Amino acid sequence: MLRVHGLHFRYKNIDALKHVGIGLNKGEVLSIVGPNGAGKTTLLKCIVGIVKPDNGTVLIDGKDTSRMKRLDLARCIGYVPQSTPSKFPITVFDAVLMGRRPYIVWKPSERDLEVVADLLRSMGLEDMALRDFDHLSGGQKQKVLLARAFAQDTDYLLLDEPTSNLDLRHQMEVMEMISGMVKKKGMAAILAVHDLNLASRFSDTVVMLNAGRVFCSGKPMEVMTVENIRSVYGVEATINQNDGNPYILPIRPVGRLKK
Amino acid sequence: MCIPHFRYFYMQEICEQYRGLTGRKVSFMILLVVLLSGVGLIALSQGASSVGLKDSFAALFEDSGVAHAIVWKLRLPRIVMAILVGCGLAIAGTVFQAILRNPLASPHTLGIGSSAGFGAVMAIVFGGGLYKEYLIAGNAFLFALLSSSLILGVAKLKRSTPETMILAGIAMMFFFSSLSSLFQYMGTMEEVHEIVFWFFGSLSKVGWKEISMASVMILLPIPLLLKWSWDFNLLAAGDESAKALGVNVTRIRMVGLVVASLITAGAICFTGVIGFIGLVSPHITRMVIGGDHRFLLPASALVGSVLVLTADTLGRTLWAPQVIPIGIVTSFIGVPFFFYLLMKRTREYW
Amino acid sequence: MELLVIMKRTLIVQVVILFLFCLSVPGKAITGQDNRMELIKVQDAQGTTLEVRLPVKKLVVLTSDALEIVRALKAEDLVVGINTGIVKDPLFWPRLKHRPAVGRWSEPNYELIAELNPDMVISYARHPGAEMEKKLMPLGIRVIRLDFYKIRTLEKEVKTLGRILKKEKEAKELTAWYQRKLSWVREKLKEVNDRPAVYVESYTGYHTTGPGSGGNEICVLAGGHNIASNFSIPYPQVTPEWVLANNPDVIIKATSLSNCYAMADPGPLRTTRHRIMARPAWDNIRAIKEGRVYVMAGDIWTGPRAIIGASYMAKWFYPDIFKAFDPKELHREYLERFQGIKYQGVYVYPSL
Repeated sequence: MLRVHGLHFRYKNIDALKHVGIGLNKGEVLSIVGPNGAGKTTLLKCIVGIVKPDNGTVLIDGKDTSRMKRLDLARCIGYVPQSTPSKFPITVFDAVLMGRRPYIVWKPSERDLEVVADLLRSMGLEDMALRDFDHLSGGQKQKVLLARAFAQDTDYLLLDEPTSNLDLRHQMEVMEMISGMVKKKGMAAILAVHDLNLASRFSDTVVMLNAGRVFCSGKPMEVMTVENIRSVYGVEATINQNDGNPYILPIRPVGRLKK
Repeated sequence: MCIPHFRYFYMQEICEQYRGLTGRKVSFMILLVVLLSGVGLIALSQGASSVGLKDSFAALFEDSGVAHAIVWKLRLPRIVMAILVGCGLAIAGTVFQAILRNPLASPHTLGIGSSAGFGAVMAIVFGGGLYKEYLIAGNAFLFALLSSSLILGVAKLKRSTPETMILAGIAMMFFFSSLSSLFQYMGTMEEVHEIVFWFFGSLSKVGWKEISMASVMILLPIPLLLKWSWDFNLLAAGDESAKALGVNVTRIRMVGLVVASLITAGAICFTGVIGFIGLVSPHITRMVIGGDHRFLLPASALVGSVLVLTADTLGRTLWAPQVIPIGIVTSFIGVPFFFYLLMKRTREYW
Repeated sequence: MELLVIMKRTLIVQVVILFLFCLSVPGKAITGQDNRMELIKVQDAQGTTLEVRLPVKKLVVLTSDALEIVRALKAEDLVVGINTGIVKDPLFWPRLKHRPAVGRWSEPNYELIAELNPDMVISYARHPGAEMEKKLMPLGIRVIRLDFYKIRTLEKEVKTLGRILKKEKEAKELTAWYQRKLSWVREKLKEVNDRPAVYVESYTGYHTTGPGSGGNEICVLAGGHNIASNFSIPYPQVTPEWVLANNPDVIIKATSLSNCYAMADPGPLRTTRHRIMARPAWDNIRAIKEGRVYVMAGDIWTGPRAIIGASYMAKWFYPDIFKAFDPKELHREYLERFQGIKYQGVYVYPSL
């Protein structure tokens, strides 16, 4: 179980996060949505410990992460950043093997190699195992980074816009891999997502952030309302339903944005 | 874990391929060791005196005569120092490039070389006495540390990015080069000549005492750096990924910078400025075996050693008995080789 | 006839009057001559023939070598500008140290020179570069390039400067002295056929002196066999092993220590010698075994006093032949007779 209480983070005199609280259980996918600058990425970074919040706690299975060693934390939470490194002079296999770093001293064990090989196979990356990461397409790179996070073998996985810059097919593949892994291994995943439809379709819980605050949270159907989208995004939209999932069709920007 | 047979087979195949790749990296290093030994033997057998390879070997073990002195006091120290210097500059370059995630980083482009140079120049101008060499070396080290801590200070003051660090380094390089020039400008003839010697770079003044000091500074930190190989690898993935994978990014960057400065100072304080090696060795190695620091660090150390030893041996034999200063030769053999690799490369490694 | 006599007489009177007139206002007559520009042709150190307008009354001297010659020619009073290095050696230049400095010998300040408005600037053949002529010629300032640091060309250059400064007599005196001393050394060395092998190290460590260098010149002059005499560049770097393999009988180390004239303690020279003798494996070299390692200050190594350096070398190479000869006395004679200062300072180690 992952619980975030009263998270507060200031950056350059601006409150990027204000008393944010979320929680999710294993086997669940939680999506964080919200307009640009709402604090989605910052929230993820605070949870995984890349930046230190000014206030508030992150509890993993009851343990305060600020008191955990970095390496121990790395065995609990995996993180896939939004941007892929521009130059990453290493093979795909090595890139995924990096996910095993929290378990390796110097020489990777047989098991480490097997975990990596198995992941590459199951994600359809086996043919490019020894190719250079830099030579892959955007979608392939994203999968490799996902594989690296899976290789980390953690209970919790944080993903920052895992589908941005991907074509439809890769978006679907990546999202299915995530939800598949969550269901199969009983993990929990937090995603920062721009695409409200993807968020609705793959999440158990949606948290809508606005200007560093949790505007609302709950099941996709509860959060994705015409009113919420109008006041948070300043967009007039219609909501349709399909299989119990809301489908959002944005129409036009309205009024002035409230911040 | 219960794995179906076919799946297991696939896995084994991928692992096998990966091991093959690792094997190739190891073979490259073995090749370098063989190459280094070969060049070492040539270096041992070449010289102005008539002492050839056979005599050298004989002289290695018998404790008398001029041949013994030539081999033990002149040729071997030169060879050993060339290897040490090449190794040190290459390792320092690799570490700088890794921690700053910048292909332009090297002891000299970061200004660490220039500031160490300035430290040496300062000792030349103000120092004196019988222990002047040690003063020069010690001061070179002091200033290498000073400039690296200045870069760190800048990095800490402003939120550190690799770009600000490299900019600070380049600024530092210009600053200390100018200071050295000022000293040269104000110095007496004698000082100017010693400064010139230092800036040419030379292995002629090296004895076992210097070697023991340099090897402490260069070799001692290497196991530590090798231990951090994974962290260096992860830094390439980006600071955030590295942090999320358990790397203390700030610490590795700071400690790495200090250790690499120590190695830089050790490599250049007794021999003067031998540029280019620190920049080019990691690149050459990366083009051949890729960016995994577990292999990149030792292999580029070997590449650096081969380059410096070859350059020095060529420098003192090509135009014998006149010596072509080593700094000139390293560029002459390193640059064309580097360009050859740039043209031929299939990998996009920076 | 009468008429002829009268005409003749008139002519004589006229000539006499003209002559008297000339005597009575000599300054004016010379000025008149000045306006007609007395031009002489001289060759500078690069072999270029230049026209120089005489007399030269104001002189900026950029090199200490030239300044020494100017002083030897008793033309000190003409000097209106010197290089900044002169000030650092006030004891050696008691009368010149307060003249305005115009910058470094290699990089003078042209504005300062222009302000002093000299007739002529004396510099080395190669330094500063050709920009000096470009800047100074339009201002009517003549640049003359004379090196005064090679024994071979020294006499010729002294004579040239003597003509320019109208000090032919002094120039002749100086060159005659040089010739006398040189031919004496040459004469003494005539009977020698076994020349000692010499390793000459210039100011920078492990840089020897090949053909074309001053070090080689004085070594050969002093009857030494420079082991680098068949090299192809003047200041090549060599390996310690090469020196060891050539096993020289004598090692000469030049040190560019400044202020040797003001020095009383040979400490720095001793240190230099000690460090040469302690170089790894060099204890196998004959010169070191026999202690024939000599350190020489730059003052007498090149420049107008290279002859002093050469004399010391000759004495070191052939102590028996030059037993009664003391180069220090030669140095004293030069300083007191031509430079007008008393002999002092430390120039070599070990001293004789």
